[in-house]
Amino acid sequence: MQKRSDDRLIAYLDGEVDVSERREIEAWLDSDPAARDKLAALAQSAALVRSAFDEVMHEPLPDRLIAAARGERVSAEPSAKIVPLRRGPGTGKAPAARSWWLGLPLAASLFGLLLGGSVAYLSVAKLLPGGIGGKQPAVEMAAADNLWLDNAVGYFKLAASAGDGALVDVPATGDAREAWQKISQSLPQEVRWPDLNLKPWGLNFRGARLVVADGRPAAQLMYTTDNKAIGPLTLIIGSSNEPDTPPTLARRQDVNLLYWRHQGRAYALVGQTDVGYLWGIANDVAWQLDAI
Amino acid sequence: MSLSQRLGSQNLAEAPVHLIAGRDPVSIRFGDQLIAVLPRLRRFARGLTGSAVEADDLVQAACERALARQHQFQEGTRFDSWMFRIVQTIWIDQVRSRDVRKEGGEVAEERMGSDEAVRRVEARLALGEVRRAVDRLPPDQRTALLLVTVDGLSYKETAEIVGVPVGTIMSRLARARIALQQQLESGGGMRRSTDNAKAQ
Repeated sequence: MQKRSDDRLIAYLDGEVDVSERREIEAWLDSDPAARDKLAALAQSAALVRSAFDEVMHEPLPDRLIAAARGERVSAEPSAKIVPLRRGPGTGKAPAARSWWLGLPLAASLFGLLLGGSVAYLSVAKLLPGGIGGKQPAVEMAAADNLWLDNAVGYFKLAASAGDGALVDVPATGDAREAWQKISQSLPQEVRWPDLNLKPWGLNFRGARLVVADGRPAAQLMYTTDNKAIGPLTLIIGSSNEPDTPPTLARRQDVNLLYWRHQGRAYALVGQTDVGYLWGIANDVAWQLDAI
Repeated sequence: MSLSQRLGSQNLAEAPVHLIAGRDPVSIRFGDQLIAVLPRLRRFARGLTGSAVEADDLVQAACERALARQHQFQEGTRFDSWMFRIVQTIWIDQVRSRDVRKEGGEVAEERMGSDEAVRRVEARLALGEVRRAVDRLPPDQRTALLLVTVDGLSYKETAEIVGVPVGTIMSRLARARIALQQQLESGGGMRRSTDNAKAQ
């Protein structure tokens, strides 16, 4: 043993010793209960320090820092234009089926506009009452990366324009997990449900619907929040046969996207908020779903 | 590994670029990289300064300096390490020029107004005790502790950021860890903090 000291125990805990030294330290630990207690105490204090600063990682990034990172001045106005959720007539009272029909003309026009007729997976059947358990419509694959991102933006705009609670296959009434289970049954690959409701950004899960991402059926989860700096968000989770893609920022007109692929799944977080918020929220999604 | 950590370790050359009208693609890519590493920089700065406001001031100053000197960043090296070094350098300059030491500001900054905060107050205060213990460490020990123990950098990476030999980092870190443990044990915070951290 070179030096049986706290320094060596700390280096051992930090994985900063070589193989021979590690064996020496482990032999020492085997024979010395006091050293084991010391090691446990050091590990405990290290975990506490990490916990003490962990919450900073989950805080939304201040606008002034995002502006500074971009070399911009901080303005009084929010840097991202937020599309207010427009509550459709009678949304709060009408049965869910009525909302589907009210949203269909808008859905059709937006899809036509945004997708240019290149994607045929307009899930009309899913928009009909009872559609979730019915036969799946045919799916026309969207080949290019750009196309599925365009689609993701289209779906976001559709959801934001259609209003709170409209155009969802499974509304988030009652237990949101139950809603997620229903929609996940229609997906080719099981995915878990990220719980973002209790996070600092105060997102409220509004429902989910079936869409297409990477040429395959996917779930679009819709969130709203009272935080004006964030606005409505959608998260698309689907399966993919494409290679893993690192987290990537993209922008379509006035909409920001953060998308990635990991182990056969494709993800896209979409909103008109600043990318700083998207990073934070996507970080949570990735952590909860082990998506990274 | 978190999303931020993955992005923080990417080289600029690897970062995808998406054109935004009216902006220089290089600046956009640099800015995106900077935004990706901001959460870690804020955590590091929070530990250094012991204050949320001072930490964000420090990170903002680091962003401005990085943008002004982006031509000095060497492709193929780690962007996050470069930024940590800028933060640390600015902070050391501030410490030397102002002898910045803050006492007890963290408790006042605890935000306890949310619905869930009530049952978490005790846990937050206990973790606040840990933060105050870190704040009492000498600056060089605090830096080593935050980079290695909190951010998970290696001794070698930390030594490169701070600009000292690996052995120096090792000894600073050991002193920091032992002092921290003694402070927590003497204040009774070790057990309380552990219990409450689990409760969070």
